[in-house]
This record gives sequence, structure tokens and C-alpha cells, in this order.
Amino acid sequence: MDEYALGVLINMGLFSFLALSAYLLLIAGEMSFGQQAFFGVGAYAAGIGTAMWGLPLPVAALGAMVLGATAAWLVGLPTLRLRGLYFAMATLAAAEMFRIAFELVRWQRDVDGEPVGPDGTQGFRGIRWVLEQGIEQAGYAAIVFALLAIVLAALFVAERSRLGATIRMVGEDAELAAVLGVNVQRVKLGVAAVAGALAALGGALYAHHNTYIEPRNFDIMLGVHSLAYGLIGGLGTALGPLAGVAIDIGLLESTRAFQGYRMIVFGGLVAALLIVRPRGLLDETVVNRIAGRLRHRRAR
Amino acid sequence: MIRFLAAAALVALVAPAAAQRLAADVDCKPTNHDLVYDCRIALREAKSGTPVSGADVSVGADMPSMPMAHNVKPVKAKPGAAPGEYEARIELEMFGEWALRLDVRGPVRDVIVKKLGFREAR
Repeated sequence: MDEYALGVLINMGLFSFLALSAYLLLIAGEMSFGQQAFFGVGAYAAGIGTAMWGLPLPVAALGAMVLGATAAWLVGLPTLRLRGLYFAMATLAAAEMFRIAFELVRWQRDVDGEPVGPDGTQGFRGIRWVLEQGIEQAGYAAIVFALLAIVLAALFVAERSRLGATIRMVGEDAELAAVLGVNVQRVKLGVAAVAGALAALGGALYAHHNTYIEPRNFDIMLGVHSLAYGLIGGLGTALGPLAGVAIDIGLLESTRAFQGYRMIVFGGLVAALLIVRPRGLLDETVVNRIAGRLRHRRAR
Repeated sequence: MIRFLAAAALVALVAPAAAQRLAADVDCKPTNHDLVYDCRIALREAKSGTPVSGADVSVGADMPSMPMAHNVKPVKAKPGAAPGEYEARIELEMFGEWALRLDVRGPVRDVIVKKLGFREAR
């Protein structure tokens, strides 16, 4: 596989973390336009950890996840009291606050005779841990997809558990769940924190793949895409958002002949799919049908 | 699965250091074709300022507001006339600010990102 194809593959892996982050909130019944903020928190935190403090990436990424989860929990405290469009608008506003905060952060340290660290709108250069370890694209792709596999396995286990059923119940009818004794606010806050940690992990890996980040990387476009992946791929399984990422990136790569207009193709696809299949290609009905057939085949 | 994870961990922790901090000046000039630019890259060691010749340099570009999706397929740069100089022709998708990513391999290894504004000629 050539370097460019590997780069595309890594991008798909990185987007998948963000897509799964938005997906978690979607199955809990909330549409967040702000997951890019926690992706940014993870990118900046891990970048500071490795480039300025000399920490190894696994430690910095772990710290970034804790910070991402905390930030998401704090944002969730007031915003999860809102519903529907109001929650979506509140998360968008919170994400913009984070982006503006990234623009204001100027904190650099001298590393090998050069200033390294966030420099406001000029961005954060020199996140070189991966380069310094001599990790090439194939190795980094292996790391990204190994972590993605762990996350997916954890989500599959969680979705089959009582907790997974509770989250879906809250997502489908919060009032009914509350009547049945579920603490809806606590469940949603927990989901928001886990989603924040996932987005932060993706951000940490993104910063170290790109070596450079800037506040504009984490603006509304990224949030819209992360939400669209779940809606395109489907909300019936954690594989749905990954299918959404594969379709989007595959479509963007195969329509290069249309240059800048290919983004219009993407927008058109989202609009058409939302009309035809409001809960995506792999929605609950399709997933249940496939699971039923598999059970039937096993029983024979 | 466990073998795969172990291999990934091994790659992450044991691989030897090979990177060197480089700096670059990039100057892109418009051609007769819309959105096509000829870029001249002057590559040097960041500390000593020594020009870096004989490297494999590929030039890609990302729009900062849509990282990973709104990008330009990387092209290989050709060596220029002067030491440490490289030339590449890039074709953008639209005007605006782009982050040029210079991926340097060969005798030295580094990734340099330079932000440049590309405006429509009046």
C-alpha cells in the first residue's frame, strides 16, 4: 500500500473515533454539534504532553482522554438539561467557546532551541513524538486501528449489556425510562463523558499524525461531519458510524475530479439519506434482521 | 488480535529515533491555469541552516477548517537548481488558506507544515 493510501486509511481511523463519539450521544437521544471541541482538547492536551513535557504518547493520550471526559462532563452538566434543537445549539456554542479559547492560548517552551507549544491562531507546531520514535505510516496505522478495535470491542460488549439497553431506552423515550426508575440525567452525563474521552483519543492521535494543529481544525465543519457519519452509516450498531466514515471518505476520494464541488456531493448524500433512511443504512431494523438471521442459522 | 496489539505496541515503543528538525521556506506562484501553483521550497536544517539536498519531498495540502477531508493529493517535488531547493506543482480545489504539508524522507525525516494564503488574481 502506498503512503497516500495509508494516509487516507489513517484519516478514516481518526475520523472513526469522532464518529463513534457522536454516535454514543445519538443513541442516547442527543444530537451534539460539539464533539469536535473534545477532539481539540485531546489534540492540544496530548500535543502539550509529548512536545512540551516529553511524555510518551500513551501517557499523554491517557491524560488527554481524562481531560476530554472531564470537559465533556462539565459541558454536559448545563446543556443536557436542554432537549432537541436547544441541546444541539448549546453544544455548538460550547464548541465555539473551546475553539476561541484555543485561539487565545499562547504557551510555548524552548525545545532544542525552538519555541514549541500552542501559539494562538498560528497553531501548534512540532508535535514530533511519532517522528522521533521512527514510527512510519504503516506502524501508525496499526496503532490507530488497534486502538479502534479495542474501542469497538468495548462498545459491542457494552451494547449487549444492561447498560447498553438502558442507554438505548433513554434515547428512545427518556420520560418512560425515568418512570421505570432510570436516572436519565446521570446516564446521559456518563455517555457524554465517555464520548468526550473517545473524541479526545482521536484528537490525540490526529495531532501526532499531522504534527501540527490549529484552532480552525476544530470548527463546526468537523462537528457536522462527525454527526453525519452516524446518520449515514446507521445508528443500529457501532459499525454504522464506521460505515459512514468509509462511505464519506471513499466518496470524497473517488470524486476528486469534481474538485471543491465534491463537498456539495457529500451534503447532497446526507440530505438524501436523511429523507430515505432517517436512522442511517445500518439502522436498528436492519441490525435486528441480520442478528435474527444469524441466530436462526446457528439454531439449525 | 492479541498478536496484532502486541505488534502495534512494539512498533510504538521500540522503533529507533530517526527524525531531524528541519525548516523550510515555501513560495508558490500562480500559473496560467486557475488554482494551479508552482511552489519553490528551500529546505534546511533548523539549527545550522545547512541546505538539505537529496531528500524525497512530497507536498500535500489540507484546508485547516476541514482537516483530513478537504485536501490535495500529495505530489513529489523535483530537486531545484540550488542546494536544498525543490520544486512542485500543486493543484488546489479552491482559493483560501491552505496548510501545505511537506513530508521529507531520505537522509533526513521530518514533516513540516506551512500555512499559505492563495487568493484569486484580479
